[in-house]
Amino acid sequence: MSNSVIVQGLSCVVLVVLLAGCSGVSTRLPSPVVDHGTAAPPDTRIEYDRSAAEAVLESAPESVPAQQPPVIVALLEQAETQANDGDLSTSVATLERALRIEPRDPLLWYHLASVRLAQGEYSQAEQIAMKSNSLAAGARKLQVRNWRLIAQARKRLGDTAGAGQAERRARSLEN
Amino acid sequence: MLLLLLVFLVGYVGYLDFKVRQQFDGKRWSLPARVYARPLELYAGLQLTADQFAGELAALHYRPVRSASKPGEMSRNGSAFQLVTRGFVHPDGKDGPQHIRVSFSAGAVSRLASASNGKPVSLARLDPVLVGSFYPAHNEDRVLVKLEEVPQSLIDALIAIEDRGFYRHFGISPLGILRALIANIRAGEVVQGGSTLTQQLVKNFFLSSERSIMRKLNEALMALLLEFHYEKDDILESYLNEVYLGQDGSRSVHGFGLASYLYFERPLNELTIDQVALLVGMVKGPSHYNPHRHPERVRDRRNLVLDVMTDLKLLAAAEASRGKNRALGITHLQRKAINTFPAFLDLVKRQLRRDYRDRDITSEGLRIFTTLDPRVQWQLEKSVKNRLHALEQSHGIETGSLQVAVVVTSVQGGEVLALAGGRDGQFAGFNRALDAKRPVGSVIKPAVYLTALERPHEYTLATQLDDTPLTYTSSTGDVWEPGNYDQVFHGSVPLYQALAQSYNVATARLGLELGIRPVISTLRRLGIDQNLRALPSLALGAVELSPLQVTQMYQTLASGGFRSPLRAIRAVLASDQTPLQSYPLRVEAAVKPEHAYLVNTALRHAVIEGTGRALFQVLPAWWDIAGKTGTTDDLRDSWFAGYTADRLGVVWIGHDDNTSTGLSGSSGALTLWRDLFSAFGEPAPMLPAGESIEIEWIDPASGLLADAGCRDAVQLPFVQGSSPQVVAPCAYGVQLKQSVDWFKELFE
Repeated sequence: MSNSVIVQGLSCVVLVVLLAGCSGVSTRLPSPVVDHGTAAPPDTRIEYDRSAAEAVLESAPESVPAQQPPVIVALLEQAETQANDGDLSTSVATLERALRIEPRDPLLWYHLASVRLAQGEYSQAEQIAMKSNSLAAGARKLQVRNWRLIAQARKRLGDTAGAGQAERRARSLEN
Repeated sequence: MLLLLLVFLVGYVGYLDFKVRQQFDGKRWSLPARVYARPLELYAGLQLTADQFAGELAALHYRPVRSASKPGEMSRNGSAFQLVTRGFVHPDGKDGPQHIRVSFSAGAVSRLASASNGKPVSLARLDPVLVGSFYPAHNEDRVLVKLEEVPQSLIDALIAIEDRGFYRHFGISPLGILRALIANIRAGEVVQGGSTLTQQLVKNFFLSSERSIMRKLNEALMALLLEFHYEKDDILESYLNEVYLGQDGSRSVHGFGLASYLYFERPLNELTIDQVALLVGMVKGPSHYNPHRHPERVRDRRNLVLDVMTDLKLLAAAEASRGKNRALGITHLQRKAINTFPAFLDLVKRQLRRDYRDRDITSEGLRIFTTLDPRVQWQLEKSVKNRLHALEQSHGIETGSLQVAVVVTSVQGGEVLALAGGRDGQFAGFNRALDAKRPVGSVIKPAVYLTALERPHEYTLATQLDDTPLTYTSSTGDVWEPGNYDQVFHGSVPLYQALAQSYNVATARLGLELGIRPVISTLRRLGIDQNLRALPSLALGAVELSPLQVTQMYQTLASGGFRSPLRAIRAVLASDQTPLQSYPLRVEAAVKPEHAYLVNTALRHAVIEGTGRALFQVLPAWWDIAGKTGTTDDLRDSWFAGYTADRLGVVWIGHDDNTSTGLSGSSGALTLWRDLFSAFGEPAPMLPAGESIEIEWIDPASGLLADAGCRDAVQLPFVQGSSPQVVAPCAYGVQLKQSVDWFKELFE
């Protein structure tokens, strides 16, 4: 083929390339999505049951293992802040951290039950409050709180009879 | 004719263009999932020795330096450490780097403080050990890095050596080729490559290493197209993550992020300049410049890179010469932490499959945070190796023939801390802990006794059971005559002893009295979700379960009746750290705490004076432990399930071919359990009885009330109101007791 043809051919190729380039918007390559900058955002999928929370998320009951180690105090504070900020699933994670350190602290279990209640996990809230009670021999005030929580949870589950029973247990412990 | 050629060319370029954009636009590298162990949480009072802590830091590749100042550095002075933790995004939030001082004393953390201001720190969390990855079928691996995270020195070195005109050319660089040609002729060797980074990227992405003219042409064309569509920085970032940098066994290593870990055991931002130069030098040909096989060649190449950088004023001469004098620094660990615990990873994968497809698990770059405790796992593997060997030696068993399965969990949360699927921890074969269904023998018995004790007005721990010959004829005419392990009938025995001593006949009779269906219902509540045949022999464990299933059953008992489904995963994050799923702690009140307490009491007796007493031949007598041995016919299966206040372990030992090992639960599985828990150190005491329990002195021979006047009197717990009211003939001082009670009542 003659030189001119080759030149023509090549310029066509260049033209086509240019055209091809114009046909698509110049885009950024999808960069590797590695983001170390932000903390995990609150779990917005879980419904925050405010009324249940208000009924139960109060300050710690008094009669509690006398001296909690500083690490537990620090984690509890963190968990309560997170719960009050509406970041309930992180609050749960923080309480679980504390429970790994002190697995049989009934107050930690009580707080976990409270947050689960606030998340709308009524069945779990009930079970966890019962767990707290099983560890709370002698801590009368905490037992009362647990029974009240159980009553709330049962009410939400539609178990009015059970809720009544739990209320009565709470009252009998209060004397 | 020309028209046809043109049409063909247009079509072809269009095709290439489509290919290029499709590849890059939707390009998600197949990212393997990363599996992390639990992070170590440090706080004053944590039971941990200085050496154990050093082990954790070593597993995390913390580098010992004189004075720790950068993340990833540590220094040790006896039992005091100083370190800067690496920042990490945990499922519950980001932890920034912390500069801390940790001191140890008497096997625990004695002090934890900030190294900058000396103030005490209540809690510090380390980054978690990477314990495995799930790879897609083609075995690629990546540690993705963003351009901002790559050290500038690496970018500078790369451009200097591989493509000096990178920022100026349009994909191919005729000037570059020319320049390289001249430089190479001058140097007498290949100092510069003629391909641009863009061309190399195209080659890595699409084309084989075949070096034909067609390939070169395609490569050039596609490079041009790439540059047309995408920014320089994007191309560079892709290149940094894509470039082939060697093999790790059967896995190909792509990208500087992973290469940095593979060769230097550290993240990219912790590399020194000579290490950067080494990696950049390898780009030209990772097999040719393989630091394990051709260290001298690699050294020369590295030093060349350092020289080039100096020439281009990218590096001070003094620094370059220091770099050139350093050893390569390549780690010799051939096996990285990319599949060190196959049995546990197997469990993780199965639990993931409930929520994710296999394809997502192996290619979406999931970050999986597990419950594995590496210290417990290491200890387990060590104990398994030593104990199996010792058992084979002492019992004349064929070396290497014994097999094992072990599950270790926390009690209150059901978190799986360690798992052994076989005697070889590195072997990813048959996972006995999850899949070996073996007859469980006596380990089933607590379910029978629990069924009884849940009827406190019929059965208590003091109730006299009948361990005399029993003949049972089924409806089909089959005759069953169970016998005891010691071939003896023990007559009338208190219930707690029947369980502690694992008397078969008394248990079989009890099972028949209760009915097997109630026992099955109990097993279901304890967490056994398998279909079980309602045969009387179920009471003696003629049922096949996996060690994991047995563990679930004992978890419910050990936690005081609160069943938590055993879990290996805490949370899953996406590759960009966004939360995908959390697996929170769940409990079900399956058994009343007071009933669980009674069974646990009998199981404490089992290890103190019953079939598990071999524990205290080695362990200190004051350790609070409960457990149950299990031995099947002809000594084919050796079981032990034991727990402390916070930890549960189930051990099975046997032969894969189901032949006899000659080991009972006590002489086999128990010894391994003992080794393991001995290494864990003194456990917390178990909880005292709750408010619905009353404790009484009982005369075991009669099952009636006793006091110190009765020989062999034992204190036993009872559900409130179910303790015997009648006093045993051996007791004295009975009248005194009754009047004291009456007196007390006056004041209540």
